[in-house]
Amino acid sequence: MILLIQQTMIYAIPLMIVALAGIFAERSGVINLALEGIMIFGAFIGVLFVRTMQENQVFTQEQGQILMLLAFLVSSVCGALFSLLLSFSAITLKADQTIGGTALNLLAPAIVLFFINIIAQQNVLMMYTGDAASWFMIKPSTFGYERGHEFGLLGSLFLDKVYLTTYLCLIIFVVLSVILYKTKFGLRLRSCGENPQASDSLGINVYKMRYIGTTISGALAGAGGFTYALTTSNCASTGEVAGYGFLALAVMIFGNWTPLNVALGGILFGLFKCIAATYASLDINGDGVYMLAEIGVSPYVYRLLPYLITLIVLAFTSKKSRVPKAEGIPYDKGQR
Amino acid sequence: MKKFISVLLIGAMVFAFTACGGDKNEDAGTDEQTGTSESGAIDYSKIPDTMESEDGKYQIAFITDVGQLKDQSFNEFTWNGVKAYASENDKSYKYYQPANDQAATDADRYDAMKAAADSGAEVIVAAGFLQEKALKQAAEDFPDVHFIFIDGAIEGYDNIASVNYREEQAGYLAGYAAVMDGFTKLGFSGGGGGSNPACERYGYGYVQGVEAAAEVKDVDVEMRYSWEYGSTFSASPDLQAMLGGWYEAGTEVIFMSGGAMFQSGAAAAAANDGAIIGVDVDQSGQSDTVITSAMKDLAGSTMDVIGAYYDGNWENYGGKVTTFGAAEGRVGIPTDTWQLEGWTVDDYNALLEQIKNGEVEIDNELVSDPSTLDWEHITFVK
Repeated sequence: MILLIQQTMIYAIPLMIVALAGIFAERSGVINLALEGIMIFGAFIGVLFVRTMQENQVFTQEQGQILMLLAFLVSSVCGALFSLLLSFSAITLKADQTIGGTALNLLAPAIVLFFINIIAQQNVLMMYTGDAASWFMIKPSTFGYERGHEFGLLGSLFLDKVYLTTYLCLIIFVVLSVILYKTKFGLRLRSCGENPQASDSLGINVYKMRYIGTTISGALAGAGGFTYALTTSNCASTGEVAGYGFLALAVMIFGNWTPLNVALGGILFGLFKCIAATYASLDINGDGVYMLAEIGVSPYVYRLLPYLITLIVLAFTSKKSRVPKAEGIPYDKGQR
Repeated sequence: MKKFISVLLIGAMVFAFTACGGDKNEDAGTDEQTGTSESGAIDYSKIPDTMESEDGKYQIAFITDVGQLKDQSFNEFTWNGVKAYASENDKSYKYYQPANDQAATDADRYDAMKAAADSGAEVIVAAGFLQEKALKQAAEDFPDVHFIFIDGAIEGYDNIASVNYREEQAGYLAGYAAVMDGFTKLGFSGGGGGSNPACERYGYGYVQGVEAAAEVKDVDVEMRYSWEYGSTFSASPDLQAMLGGWYEAGTEVIFMSGGAMFQSGAAAAAANDGAIIGVDVDQSGQSDTVITSAMKDLAGSTMDVIGAYYDGNWENYGGKVTTFGAAEGRVGIPTDTWQLEGWTVDDYNALLEQIKNGEVEIDNELVSDPSTLDWEHITFVK
C-alpha cells in the first residue's frame, strides 16, 4: 500500500506541477505547447548542475538535500529563461503561439543532446558519482537512524524513501493555486486570458501579465523536468522526458484549466501508471496475497489502463470544458 | 522592453555556451594523459574515446550495439578492449553509433560499417547479435576488411570472426554465490525481451546455479524472473517501480542482466535496502548495492582477436565461432572486490576448477522462461 502511494506520487508530481505550468500560461492567454521542451531543458540543466557540483566536490553526500534544492532552483530559473523565447515570439512579435511552442519542442532535445554529447561523449548525462537514491532520497539515515528503522505507518509513508521535491512541488502547487484564485494579481492574470481588451481598458498591462504568466509557466516546467529526471530516471538526462510535457497538457485539459481538477487528474493517471508497473507485487490490504497478479489478467491490460481511463473520463467531462477565451490570440492594442 | 528581452536572451545564450564550453576544455585536458595508470593495470577511462588520426584513416573501428557507448557494461567494455589494443599498438581507432539509437535498422548498422570501411578500417568490431544481417552484407561488400562479431555467431565468412561467451557459466557462478551467501528470495531482470541469446544464457545459468547451491544447502528458494521493461536495455521509471515492488514483496537480490537497466535496479535497491548482482563486468564500483557480478571478459577477448589479426594469426578465429568460457579464463565473478560472507574465494576457485574440467556441466541451451522446466528447490513467483 505504501509502495503504491509513494510510487503514484513519483509519477503524479511532475505531471501536476507541469500541468500547473500550463494553467499559468494559458490563463494569461498564451498556449504553452513548449512544456515538453522546457521540461527537457530543465532536466538537462538540473542534472548538469548536480554533475558539475559533484565533479568539483562542492557538496558531500550528506549535503545532498541542499544540492538538490539548488539544482531545483537553477533548473526553474533556466526553464523561465528558456520560456522567454516563447514569450518573445508570441507576445512581443505576435507570432503564432502553437508554431512557436512546437519550435521550442524541436529545439530543446536537439540543443540538449548536442551538449550532452560534447560533455559526456554519449547520449545520456548521468550523475558524476553515486545514484539518485543514495544522494537525494530521504531515508532513515537522513535523520540519523539506523537502516531499516521503523517509523510507523504515517512515518514510513511520508518520511521513508521519499524525495524532498515531492513536498516542495506540493507546496508550490498549493501556493500558486491560491495566488491564481485569491489575489488581485491572479484575477488580473486570468482576465488577460479571457478578455484582454477589457483588462487593458482598466489599466492592466496585458503584455506584462502575459510575460509573467508564461515565465512562471517556464519556471514550473523547468523544475518539473528536473523533478522527473531526479525521481524517475536516477538523475539522468537523455534529451527526452517520455512525453510527460504533452501528458501534462492533456492533464491540464482533462482538469478543465483548474488546479484542483488537474491535481486529481494527475494522481488518477499516476495511480494507474503505477499499477501497470507494479501490479505483480502489489499487496493492497497487506494479507500477503498479490491479488492483481492472481486474477490472471494479461499485463497488457494493466498497461492499457491509464490511457483507457483518461479516454473514458475525457469522454464524460469534455462537454464541460471551458477554455480561456482569449487563449492563443495575440493581443493587439489596436483591435478594440 | 524589447531591448531588455534581447539582453536577457543573449545572456541566456552566453551562459549556456560558457557553461558547457568550460566542461569541454576539461575533457580535452584529460585526453592528453596516457592510457596506463601507475599500478600497471590498464585504466581504460584514461584512454580517450575519440582520437584524430594524422591521415584521416581509422584502422580499428567499433560499431556499438543498441544502447549507449558508455553503458558501463557491454558496449563500453568491448570498446575498452578496442581502444586499449589500439593505443598499446599505435593504431588509430574510432567508434560508430548506428543511426536511430534503439530503433536502428540493419540499414543503419550497415551504413555505420560502410562509413568505417570507407575511413580505412582494417578491423571492424561489431558488438551485439542484432548486427548479424548487416555484418554479412558488409563482409561481402568489403572482402578486405576483417570483422569481429562479439556475442554473435556467423560461420562461413572468412573475414568474420565470431566471438561468443559461456554466459551460463558466469550466471551459474553468480546464482550459486548468492544462495551460498544466504539469499533465498532472488530475482532476475533481463534485457532484450527474452530474445537476446547472451541474456538468456545468463538467466538460465543463473537459475541452474541457484538450484545447485540450494541443493547443497538444502533450502527452498523463491524466484522472480522477468523480461518486462527490458526490450530496449534502458533504465525507465516503470522498470524502477516494478523492481521496487519486488523488493517490497520480499525479494532480496536481483540479477540485473541488461546494460543500462542496471540504473533502475540500483535505484530500486538503494531505496529498499536490497542487493544487486551486476552483469558483464564488475559493477561494484557503480553502486553500493552490488554484491557480486557475473562477468565476461569482453575487453580481454576482444584484444585477443584483434591481436591475432595483426600478428598474422587471423585463421585461428576467422570464419568460425569461438566460444570463450571458464576454461579460457574469460568468465567468472570478481574476486578482488569479494563481499560475500557465506562463501569464500577458495570455495569459488574450487567450483570454477570443476567447471573448467567439466565435472560441473551447465546447460547452455537458450531457455527464455526457466519456470516452464522442473526445479526441485525453486518456486517461481509471477
